[in-house]
Amino acid sequence: MSADPWDILLTFTRLGLVSFGGANLPEIERVLVEQKGWITPQVLAGGFALGQVMPGPNMLAMTHYGFAAGGWWGAAAATAGFYGPTALLSAAAMLAWQRLSRWRWLPPLRSALLPFGAGVLLAGALVLGRSSLHSWPAAVIAVAAFVLLQRTRVNAAVVVLGAAGLGALLGL
Amino acid sequence: MPAPALSPTAPDHPAQPQRPPTPLGLLQLFLGVALVGIGGGLPAHTRRALAARGWLTDAAFAEAFTLAQLTPGPNAVNLAAMVGAHLCGPRGAALAVAGILAPGLVAMLAVSVITLGLPGGLPPTFQSALRGAACAALGVMLTAAVPVVQVALGVRGGAVLMGATFLALAALKLDLLPVLAVVVAAGLLLNRPRSGE
Repeated sequence: MSADPWDILLTFTRLGLVSFGGANLPEIERVLVEQKGWITPQVLAGGFALGQVMPGPNMLAMTHYGFAAGGWWGAAAATAGFYGPTALLSAAAMLAWQRLSRWRWLPPLRSALLPFGAGVLLAGALVLGRSSLHSWPAAVIAVAAFVLLQRTRVNAAVVVLGAAGLGALLGL
Repeated sequence: MPAPALSPTAPDHPAQPQRPPTPLGLLQLFLGVALVGIGGGLPAHTRRALAARGWLTDAAFAEAFTLAQLTPGPNAVNLAAMVGAHLCGPRGAALAVAGILAPGLVAMLAVSVITLGLPGGLPPTFQSALRGAACAALGVMLTAAVPVVQVALGVRGGAVLMGATFLALAALKLDLLPVLAVVVAAGLLLNRPRSGE
């Protein structure tokens, strides 16, 4: 069931280049679960959760998906593909920024990208909700985590680990 | 995930630069940022670490942060690439990115081997724990979405464009690139530079 590393590299490169702000879960689900069949919805949700408790960027879930799709080479290809080209693009953009900052279309571009990014985030929440909210206790945990994070300064990793403990106890 | 806003951090007064930035220094800085940034808030940690070394002013940081959100890819990694490129050129960018990714990569690979490699799948208790964690991760994601949605609603046509994006992706399951093209074109048209402004 091991996918071709080249295919993984190209697929994750494309996923990286179309994700603004990080998690582009609707597209990740469409491509990895429905189109390629490399991962199941359970691996999608599980990897996303693992990403929340790892040091560094949350989207290290991509490494997890790559490993699920093609073992060690898959993990390497997914990581290089998702992070490499976008990092290169960012470094190049930084070096061009001084000239861009006076461009009159820059504020409109920012205004156009913001609602798009917000829509993607909300669609991503729905994707994640569909694959993880299968019972009332699950929904309560999600709402409780949201309220706790909104109202207090508690670390998100602590909340996720606490929910993992609850999940194990309740046998979700 | 978009990181929370940067404003409510402790007042950081840029210290005198003890040492000039080097690629290796950037590697070390971003390794530290990754390790303290479990659960998010990486841009805030990046800002604090840079201010403590006197390597970047807040204004230069704000500029880099805005740009990191406009370029595709995860904000925190984009930010590392930009700060690295700004301070030390291409080698700085490469080592900054390596630094912010390395700790999580090692940890994630270890966990992936264990969770995905077991014959017969995961033990039921672990599966339950992962399901609980996924529910909380949804909560984390929604808290990160709140400020993004608020800012988007303040943009001209923001509510309609955001709703259209959501419906196109979530309900109609359309390919992302055409949705991006249509929504951004509409947004550019609505927010086009006007003479006299």
